[in-house]
Amino acid sequence: MATHEKVDVAIVGAGASGSVFAAVLAKAGKKVVVLETGPDWQLSDLISSDFWGRRIKTAGAPFLLEGKNPFGYSYQSGWGVGGAALHYFANLPRLLPNDFKIRSEHNRALDWPISYQDVAPYYDKVARDIGVSGNAKAEEIWRPAGEPYPMPPMKTFRHGEVWLKGFEALGIRMVPAAVGMNSTDYKGRPACIYDGWCHIGCPTGALSNPLVTYLAEARRAGAEVRPRSSVTRVLTNRQGTRVRGLEYYDAKKERQVQEANVVVLAAWSAQNPRLLLNSATDRHPRGLANASGLVGKYMMCHYSSGTWALFDEDVQNHLGTTGAQFMSYDRYGKTAHPGVFGSSFIVAGSALKTSDLGGFANARLDLFGAELSAFMKRAARGLTRIGAFGEELPNLDNRIELAADKDEFGMPLGRIHHSFDQDAVGLWNANFEEGLRVAKATGAREAWSARGNMPTIHLMGGTIMGTDAGNSVVNSYGQSHELPNLYLAGPGIFPTAGASNPTYTIFALSLRGAEQLAAKWRAVDL
Amino acid sequence: MSKRREFMRGAAIGALAFTIGGVEVLLTPRAARAQSVTLRLLKPDEVETLEALGETLVPGARAAGIAHFIDQQISVPAEEALLEARILNVRPPFANFYRAALGAVERSSQAHSGRRFAQLAGAEQRDFVNLMRQNKIEGWQGPAGAFVYFVLRSDAVDVVYGTLEGYAALGIPYMPHIAPLKRW
Repeated sequence: MATHEKVDVAIVGAGASGSVFAAVLAKAGKKVVVLETGPDWQLSDLISSDFWGRRIKTAGAPFLLEGKNPFGYSYQSGWGVGGAALHYFANLPRLLPNDFKIRSEHNRALDWPISYQDVAPYYDKVARDIGVSGNAKAEEIWRPAGEPYPMPPMKTFRHGEVWLKGFEALGIRMVPAAVGMNSTDYKGRPACIYDGWCHIGCPTGALSNPLVTYLAEARRAGAEVRPRSSVTRVLTNRQGTRVRGLEYYDAKKERQVQEANVVVLAAWSAQNPRLLLNSATDRHPRGLANASGLVGKYMMCHYSSGTWALFDEDVQNHLGTTGAQFMSYDRYGKTAHPGVFGSSFIVAGSALKTSDLGGFANARLDLFGAELSAFMKRAARGLTRIGAFGEELPNLDNRIELAADKDEFGMPLGRIHHSFDQDAVGLWNANFEEGLRVAKATGAREAWSARGNMPTIHLMGGTIMGTDAGNSVVNSYGQSHELPNLYLAGPGIFPTAGASNPTYTIFALSLRGAEQLAAKWRAVDL
Repeated sequence: MSKRREFMRGAAIGALAFTIGGVEVLLTPRAARAQSVTLRLLKPDEVETLEALGETLVPGARAAGIAHFIDQQISVPAEEALLEARILNVRPPFANFYRAALGAVERSSQAHSGRRFAQLAGAEQRDFVNLMRQNKIEGWQGPAGAFVYFVLRSDAVDVVYGTLEGYAALGIPYMPHIAPLKRW
């Protein structure tokens, strides 16, 4: 075993949230080490192919899945530097003010300890940092005014535009989608060329993955990224009052210790609780930062109600981006759909590829053989889809815990229990019904719902923020209530999920937390 | 570094590493099948079932090298695998899933018709698959039929439609940023 020279900050995970912490703290002059379990990808590794794109999806120790709706994590999670944000669709809608006060306003779920106004300045800062294209003014029909986005909206294409008539018929207002992609050259990165390979990693730099944004900044400021470093425990001092570093296994599978003044866990919503639970000591018998018993609890996700439509015209569905062309918050009110509870967020106009989970071969899963071959030809010209993300409310039964099985380093595997409640199922169905009405109003030749197993998208929760150690794991900056030099980052700290894609909020909350840590360094680094 | 360079070279030409005469060569699965490259892990009866099932699911999958693709992929470390199983929460090693899936197909076919799946007539194969995808085969033993259908159908779609050739056959511009230069 080797013990490395003590650093100011050790960060676990080089994805969306870890990269932000690394950039802010390295630029503040701190000595930063980022431990990443996967490989050190380069942009040149991002080959335009659905086959090869799977290399940047999860590997390593699996999570065991239980419950009525097992959480299908492997399509969405990351493997290597950039994390899941290396292959994210770069849809960057924000949460709305109503997401922060569900308990106060509806006596349901939980309140955040902060409001939209606390996060809004960071949405604007992130937009400047990474480059966001969109029309902020158009979004202000649903949210308070903020800064304009630094770039105009992206180009639109027929496979998105054909839906507008249907949305208009149902009174649903669509605006240009806010996306983390370049509609123009931005900060030395080129404009997007609209060839639809975003979902397997964009190698041009037009899409704001961490390799070209915060992680690049962090490296330029001196942060060390140590790939192939699998963290197994967070170490504490003898009194159990502070963390002192991390235990990890290196590329040669040898045990190492990295001591640090501050530890930031940014390893993913499921992995952070796994690490905290596996770091139990005599002083913290239930796991670190777990006096509330809430580590690993309140895991949440989104689900999508997709609607497919087949048009006679060539809608050129291969053009554009995997992100959306248009979006709407018109069903974002928590009671927007009668009889069910939760927000819905609507998107339209994603570029399509043939294969992989999102490919159009899966638009008709019932077809095979000659019927599938015929469908593929029709779909190549006229197929397009919309989607409505739904909100799942926090539920104590949806949780992660340690299993008896262990990984190659002797660390217990994580087991994720997940089941949707009646509200989620009801909202999923309501969005299917509305999606079909929209599709029929477009005049499409055929339209159908993308029903199947209820999907689980964007894992959140597990280390939620709150006002104190009785009701949460961390404060609004991601700082542990119990161990002041331990921070948690990423969607795990969301106490509710909203229905918007989470990455914009991940960036914004991480920036807020990292700036607070840098500003109050002396108080944290006692 | 040499392993990484080799890996990237394979990726760049759209090929996988197959073994011919004890030497590793980079071939597409279609070419590997055409050259009768010896398979690494799958047994002849498993190959027969896999090719027949793949062809039933997506016409063209047999010639596109579905058996060589899966055989090569289950022989490499899970981290390097390009299989859709990887993103469907199948627990590695992936060979276990494919063996169980193909075994379930074979056992069910034998139990219901007394013949191997590959020996069924085309219409019988389609009927079998149609029941399998709905979890309606009585006495089925193994991974759920609907999941077997989904994973194997995805593999067949991959080798037929996920390639440069597949895009060309559908008239879709491939438009790569970084091209898989040959046919992958």
